[in-house]
Amino acid sequence: MKTMIQVDGLVKKYGSRTVVKGLDLTIEQGEVLAIIGPNGAGKSTTLDMILGLKQPDNGTIRYWCEDPMRYIGVQLQSTPFFPGFTALENMRMFAAFYGLRLKDIELFTQLQACGLGEMAKTDAARLSGGQQKRLAIAMTLLHKPKLIFLDEPTAALDPRARREVRQLVQSLAQSGTTVVFTSHDMEEVQKLASRIVMICEGSILASGTAEELLAEHGASSLEDLYSALTDRQFT
Amino acid sequence: MTTIIRTMLTGLFRDMHTMVWTIVFPVAMLLGLGLYIQDGSYSERLLSGVLTTNILFGSAMVTAFYVMSHRNRGIYKLLRVTPFSTIAFIGSVTAARTVLALIVSCVVVCMSILVLGVKLSALSLLLMVIILLLSTVCFTAIGFIAANLSKDESNVNMISNVMCFPMILTSEAFYSLQHAPEWVSVVGRLLPFHYFVEAMGIAVQHPVTAGEILKPVGVLFGFTILCLTVAKVTFRWDSEGGIIRNSKKRALSNEGA
Repeated sequence: MKTMIQVDGLVKKYGSRTVVKGLDLTIEQGEVLAIIGPNGAGKSTTLDMILGLKQPDNGTIRYWCEDPMRYIGVQLQSTPFFPGFTALENMRMFAAFYGLRLKDIELFTQLQACGLGEMAKTDAARLSGGQQKRLAIAMTLLHKPKLIFLDEPTAALDPRARREVRQLVQSLAQSGTTVVFTSHDMEEVQKLASRIVMICEGSILASGTAEELLAEHGASSLEDLYSALTDRQFT
Repeated sequence: MTTIIRTMLTGLFRDMHTMVWTIVFPVAMLLGLGLYIQDGSYSERLLSGVLTTNILFGSAMVTAFYVMSHRNRGIYKLLRVTPFSTIAFIGSVTAARTVLALIVSCVVVCMSILVLGVKLSALSLLLMVIILLLSTVCFTAIGFIAANLSKDESNVNMISNVMCFPMILTSEAFYSLQHAPEWVSVVGRLLPFHYFVEAMGIAVQHPVTAGEILKPVGVLFGFTILCLTVAKVTFRWDSEGGIIRNSKKRALSNEGA
């Protein structure tokens, strides 16, 4: 399996507080990697450093190609849309950011693929939470990325919207796209991830497939394992 | 870039709020005051005043709110992980605002000619277009600076007011400062709006000589370069922390410090 991103000894400090403590991580081509951990564990900071949004204080990040951002898609926790713009116009704007000159019919097809065909001319701000997440993912996929980062893609969604987003992630994984996502939902992590990395207080506590982690720690569920490992860290 | 400018303009023209405040309000102000006072020389000052204040509010204050809203929604953070450059994005926002400003100014000028009987030569119109282009860039950059220095919506409102109102009050956009205390003119001369009003005032005069206009246009050009530089240096990608100065290239660097 080809390594897409190799992170070695990553450190990030905010003042005197070290939020990421010498973290090592690899992202392999074709995998669905779940990064889990409590709030403030350093997950988002790690992703931000990988994406070049934050400068690490130490450590190295190596990418599989010279210009990785051309092949990476990012969905942030918030759903940032241009105010007053329709779903289609937001798609057009982000396509232009990637230097793509897509016709409206092509953008519409992409929206349809994410189940938003009927909402193309609706103000993005008026879409439901689930629709906004799907629009954010549709925007992420415009330039056909090889690797996508999804930061809590199903947070604050109702069960139906959650299922729709999960199906979308599964179809992406099946098409060979490498997916890295963060989540607090252990059931979702178990269903979607081919590998799990558990982070707490800026360090990796455990890493492997769900089956490996459960067997290694003798836990009956990911939720139990998560509680046990994070409790041990905090006590 | 053209796709971005076109999409932004579509959004601007669909927004009723923008339409009312950017087009209907200045036209109503021009016609209301012009027809009430009915004085040829004041009509010229009124035209100059309406054009300049419209650019000040439309470019500086609207841009400040626009940029703040984009930043707080995380749009810039997402923009940063695309290959599109900041300068190109700032340029696109400025270009869309400039097109809108020129259209509004065109409507205001036509109304002043047709209803108030203001006479403008071809040279005047040419100079007015140059001044409007330059000032739109300058005041849009000031809008970016106001947003860059602000933390949230209430903050941006206060900072843009602090930047814009002294410019209006110390300028001769609508009234003469001949009898005002000297310090008012001194403060005014330290601000770009003074030179914008002066240049526009000369451009709408009948007859106009290009030579007189060089000094205020030159100073306005200097302010434009300064404001663009400050806007670029202080540009913030997200609402967290202080002003981030690192360039896209540095952000993509794969080595830690």
